[in-house]
Amino acid sequence: MGPGESPDGPVPVRSSRRPRRTRLSEGLGLRARVTATFAIGAFALSTLMAGITYFTARQTYLNERQGADQRQVFANALLVQNALRSPGADAEQLIGSAGPLPGSLSVLHSGGHWYATSISTGQSALPESLQGLVLGGTPGSQIISVGGSPQLAIGVPLPAVRAAYFEFFSLDELEGTLRTLAFTLAAAALVTTIAGAALGRWASGRALRPLAGVTEAAVAVAGGELDTRVEAGDDVDLQELASAFNQMTANLQDRIEREARFTSDVSHELRSPLTTLTATVGVLEGHRSELSPRARSALDLLDGDLHRFTRMVDDLLEISRFDAGSAELSLDEVDPGELVRRAVAASAPVGPDGRRSTVAFPVETGPGVEGLRLRVDKRRFERVVANLLENATLYAGGVTRVVVERHPPPGPAGEPDHGTPAECIRVVVEDRGPGIPANERDHLFERFYRGSRSGQRASSEGTGLGLSLVAEHVRLHGGAVRIEDAPGGGSRFIVELPLSFDGVPGDLT
Amino acid sequence: MSRILIVEDDKRIRSSMRLALEDEGYLVEDVSSGEEAVSSFNEEPCELALIDLMLPGMDGFETCRALRRQSTVPIIMVTARSDTHDVVAGLEAGADDYVTKPFVAKELAARIRALLRRSRPEESGSPVIRFGDVEIEADAGVVRRGGEEVHCTRTEFRLLSELAEHPGKVLSREHLLEQVWGYDYFGDGRLVDVHVRRLRTKIEPDPANPRFILTVRGMGYKLAV
Repeated sequence: MGPGESPDGPVPVRSSRRPRRTRLSEGLGLRARVTATFAIGAFALSTLMAGITYFTARQTYLNERQGADQRQVFANALLVQNALRSPGADAEQLIGSAGPLPGSLSVLHSGGHWYATSISTGQSALPESLQGLVLGGTPGSQIISVGGSPQLAIGVPLPAVRAAYFEFFSLDELEGTLRTLAFTLAAAALVTTIAGAALGRWASGRALRPLAGVTEAAVAVAGGELDTRVEAGDDVDLQELASAFNQMTANLQDRIEREARFTSDVSHELRSPLTTLTATVGVLEGHRSELSPRARSALDLLDGDLHRFTRMVDDLLEISRFDAGSAELSLDEVDPGELVRRAVAASAPVGPDGRRSTVAFPVETGPGVEGLRLRVDKRRFERVVANLLENATLYAGGVTRVVVERHPPPGPAGEPDHGTPAECIRVVVEDRGPGIPANERDHLFERFYRGSRSGQRASSEGTGLGLSLVAEHVRLHGGAVRIEDAPGGGSRFIVELPLSFDGVPGDLT
Repeated sequence: MSRILIVEDDKRIRSSMRLALEDEGYLVEDVSSGEEAVSSFNEEPCELALIDLMLPGMDGFETCRALRRQSTVPIIMVTARSDTHDVVAGLEAGADDYVTKPFVAKELAARIRALLRRSRPEESGSPVIRFGDVEIEADAGVVRRGGEEVHCTRTEFRLLSELAEHPGKVLSREHLLEQVWGYDYFGDGRLVDVHVRRLRTKIEPDPANPRFILTVRGMGYKLAV
């Protein structure tokens, strides 16, 4: 990479301001609020309409009734006037049941006396204002209540005979009609309110449906699928949301990729000088006998740290590929027992004669392991085993036991050797260390994690990435890794890989 | 003394490789570009070529193909990363093997030795092997198909011979790596896969539907009888 070819842009400066949080909702849920708003709106509107309808109808009925009653009163009043004009007319008789007004509820004021057709409804039932108005010479009407039932009282002055004629009309029937109308309107308002609430619920559900799509996309992004995008379709209202969301994921993807690429580029660029260093240290090793003892010690230090540096660059590159989501499995079918045995053999220290010393512990294999074919990425599986062995050697006083077994153990012989989905192969590595406290076990798989008790690097040979890579490799295979206490003290690292692996990475649990 | 051609654009790496390989007893010729490599090879053929994949101008793949067009010289390509498609592409361009930077000189030397050993004529006394219209003359290192000579690299020849010597038997990738490349268990199975693919294009009537070199899923390869 030449100058000006820097793959990463300016590194964003992290400001010290507090993270901004946009509160999306207060109290009730969005749907509940929309539903309530619709219901309240429907209620207000339907009540208003019902009220207007009721009062208009009432007024119309009343006017109609009043008109008809008034015509009757005038006709009756004319009869009474004519009767009073005739000589020897008796008001008492006139208003009586035998008079010209049978069936009507009338009150007559004549010659300073009051006469009524009914004992119960007489002058006392007439409001004074109406009496005064009519006796003053002006016809009038008023709605009154007689014995709890509404009555329309109409009065007509008869100045020719110096009398006044009043008549009562029952409004019970009209009142009943209006009550029925009011009840019907109230029921209609209630139905409208419920319908409004239902409409609100449906509409909010419909309006929120795109949010479900956005939620799904956000979950996918959170799950690492950074190329997830949403589509607004033709909906102009949603286009803004969609483009903002897509912009966000694009920026996120860009940034993550840039960071991962940076790590990858750095480790990549380090390879050229490392190649030169490794080759020249190799040359110096070849001329070891020509060196002074001091130079030889220096060369050993150089060689050791060069080896560690190379491992670190390799591990960083590996980690960056996991971070960028570009780690690919290259699946092969292997004999797990054999692979672990080879890895254990390869982990044995190289003696001064250039040969590996024999390993003090054998690899134990459980039933059904020999001859089993396991679909794994050979390189990654080998690194998992090697890193676990290295961890035990560098930080826990060495390996005491390595076991490869099937879990759960296979049934009687004769069953096919492919396993059920629940079956897995277990690689167990036990060490002679002091054991790991339960609260530290999960942290142990974090990058560059140093145990709380050590406070410093326990060994200068590790890269600090070994166990986190174990976790990543295992996760890529849909497996899991965990730590338990070994029976004889020390820790037991357990790696479980599913027997039937189809190449889709699972969760680390 | 075997002549080794190093094609590498980084001057320091080139010098360090020269030092290391000279210490191993090889005669080293180094060039910094693919074009120079081709002209150097034409002037005086080397016995093995180490080609860096990332070269300015004519890249490693093209250099590899150019050398392969005129020779079966063993080629080891040098890649920065082992997990990329570069490895497969390099093998498909005709390389016999690959090493990843940074490599340990001793390991590189071991691979060079294995390849050079293989490129010497075999002292095998086995007779001519025939299957279908294919004929393998082990002593002469010649493969014929329908009487016409097929140009195979040494590695391809070794691979075909190994399969042909055990007709009908399934040979695992590990076995083939060990026998043909001289590798231990951790060798890269892609070496076998790509070479099998290349071999098929040379001897199969329809390489997409092989009749002779069959893949046994999860097990390896076998030569059908």
